[in-house]
Amino acid sequence: MNSETTQSRPEVKIRVEYSKTSQSRYIAHLDTIDVICKALRRLQLPYAVTQGCHVRPKISFGPPLPLGHASYCEYFVLTLTGPVDSQALSESLNRELPSGMRVISIANPYVETRNGNFGEKLHYRFSFTRAEIAETARQWLLNPETSFAAESKGKTRTYAIRSAVLGASLAENDSLILEADFIQGQADVPSVSKIVTALAGFLDAQKDCLKLIERISLSELKQKQEISST
Amino acid sequence: MKNVIEALSHWELLEIEKPARYLGGEVNQATAKESPALRTCLVFPDLYELGMSNLALKIFYETLNQRPDIVAERAFSPWPDFESLLRRRGLPLYGLESGMPLKDFDVIFVTLPYEMTFTNVLNILDLAGLPLSWKDRIDGPLVIAGGPSASNPLPVAKFMDAILIGDGEEAIIEICDSLIAAKKAGANRSETRRALTKVEGLWVPEFPGPVKRRVFKLFSQSQPPLKPVVPNVQAIHNRAPLEIFRGCMKGCRFCNAGFFYRPKRERSVEDLVKYAGDLLQNTGEESLGLLSLSTSDYNNLEDLIHSLDKAKLYPEQSVSIPSMRMNDNTIALLDATPHIRKGGLTFAPEAGTQRLRNVINKNVTEEDIISVMKATGGSDYRTVKLYFMMGLPFETDEDIYGIVDLVKRLEAIGKTTKPRKQISISLSGFVPKPFTPFQWSEQASMAELKRKRQIVCRGLENGSSRVSWREEFLCLLESVLSRGDERIGDLIESAFRNGCKFDGWHEFFSKEKWEKAFTETGVKAEDYLRERPVDAQLPWDFIDFQVPRTYLENEYRLAAKAAGEQP
Repeated sequence: MNSETTQSRPEVKIRVEYSKTSQSRYIAHLDTIDVICKALRRLQLPYAVTQGCHVRPKISFGPPLPLGHASYCEYFVLTLTGPVDSQALSESLNRELPSGMRVISIANPYVETRNGNFGEKLHYRFSFTRAEIAETARQWLLNPETSFAAESKGKTRTYAIRSAVLGASLAENDSLILEADFIQGQADVPSVSKIVTALAGFLDAQKDCLKLIERISLSELKQKQEISST
Repeated sequence: MKNVIEALSHWELLEIEKPARYLGGEVNQATAKESPALRTCLVFPDLYELGMSNLALKIFYETLNQRPDIVAERAFSPWPDFESLLRRRGLPLYGLESGMPLKDFDVIFVTLPYEMTFTNVLNILDLAGLPLSWKDRIDGPLVIAGGPSASNPLPVAKFMDAILIGDGEEAIIEICDSLIAAKKAGANRSETRRALTKVEGLWVPEFPGPVKRRVFKLFSQSQPPLKPVVPNVQAIHNRAPLEIFRGCMKGCRFCNAGFFYRPKRERSVEDLVKYAGDLLQNTGEESLGLLSLSTSDYNNLEDLIHSLDKAKLYPEQSVSIPSMRMNDNTIALLDATPHIRKGGLTFAPEAGTQRLRNVINKNVTEEDIISVMKATGGSDYRTVKLYFMMGLPFETDEDIYGIVDLVKRLEAIGKTTKPRKQISISLSGFVPKPFTPFQWSEQASMAELKRKRQIVCRGLENGSSRVSWREEFLCLLESVLSRGDERIGDLIESAFRNGCKFDGWHEFFSKEKWEKAFTETGVKAEDYLRERPVDAQLPWDFIDFQVPRTYLENEYRLAAKAAGEQP
């Protein structure tokens, strides 16, 4: 395969959704991109490549997952120059990913539906070892007065979390599980990463009771008004 | 404790930089084995990113894990943030694959790539909860070292149960077989060590005696590591390494590696092309690195590069050639091959005048360097890096001014080429190494090295070149550590107890702590830095390096003759 022939073929996109759990959640975002690109090369997929002096696969990734957060909704969109069988690709990619990373589904072909950058809606699950700490965290997230200071572009600024938290509740059958919905990716809205760091600061010595942070689902916001309606 | 990793909390892992360094789980990691006969851990005494680029580690990892009865795991020096966490929690250092504490392995194999890792080795033993001296270790794993900076094993003899001199591919298997047999026989530690003396190339401090450098004679027919672990944190060299030949017969008189890896042994083009395909297929690395001491000395380089270019597996694949001896032909070859990485060109003239290059037997002429610089005119190369040494035997100030003159000439050429070339100069003090013709030479003093460095810096201060240099004290320290005897073990231990570690890292190196160690141990650096008579007994003379001493003596005399002096 060479770049000339790949460029002349019709291109098709696929969207691969994958999980990142156990020790793989400590692989940083840029290293994750590197790990996935190497896996794609090992599979010798017919992927399209960029033009220019440094040729790279045509691939784009979802919003970065904060270090240490597990996820069941990571994805990348890959441009191919030939057909692939989704089932076979899923199985072979699973063999090539590090421990803790697994393919969940493949949209093949994938048609981009994003029509603007309005940020994302995220559903998170927080697992605690003590129910009262889970309840404290729930109240902190839902308190409209909650704010925190964090670094942004070298400056310290104060964020109000009410613009980011859509809801938070303890699981019906398990008071150690807190589920919450956030938006992020909009101006003046703090990222989930910053909110979780601030929550850990708030919990202080009891932060070890928060033992697992999982991104359960992610959906792109289609338009601005969806934010206010939620 | 079975698995140290499981004892680390989420928040503790977030406190440290790049926690993925310490968690394993990478692609191609060896799988667990039921009740292996021998559990080994390969230790690289520097950061994960460096260790994961180390070829020896890949070779031994694959060699050992291919054996169904042997497990080989990995451990690296933890960065100080992670070390603090382990010490605060009272947790021991562990193998990445299983999280098992180092002290529970049967044997620890330590790679010693450079002298500045010696204190890191002690730190690792300490973090493992093992006594530093082999005499004090009454249980736990044996600690066996090897690598280029163990070619003179005496400075680290205090800490090691055994030290391998030379190539390790075959020896490491023989060591493991010996340990398995000793284990089965219920041998005690001393008996186990005595049995190890039978392995050629292995020197056991408890039973000191003559030892012969181990040479892997079957290198040319051997298969290199083809399925190395793919790191989860980008390694310092982000490429799939393929060793195309071992050894170098150029005979540069200052070069320890040139003698340590003798003789020259080449793999065939046919084999290398096949290995390259397998290696890239198994790693997915974008770049294939052709490794050797001097890649342009490979007999069929043109054939190899063209064959590799034809056998591409994926579109962005490239070849990187880190050690090229440059001439017009190599530039033409590289330019004619589109998929070779053209980052920068590196030359090592080592000396500023032809006279001194003749003295050190560095077979690069000024004409070579000038003509290559001109030949880069139409190429994509943008940077040119030049390595020079100062304080070489028989050196005069004219040789130092010669560095300035040569660089100025190259700067003038670089300005006329398109794209313009950025020249970088790296200066380092010469360190005489054992088993080289300059093993008897005097180490230049700090003041002398500094004076010479200032001549170069002042001479080039109005030019366009960037000049960097190695701290002079580091050169002297390396000289003591490489030409030392058993007393140097106390010095290393004292430095470690004073807090020295990561001595090769500018941000951690502490001259004051090392000076304190010299004072505390009474070791006088000058005893190790002075010139030695050619007929004097040297501490490492008990090693048969497979390079006759008479040859080294003759080479030293030839160097003196080239300089117009008597040694």
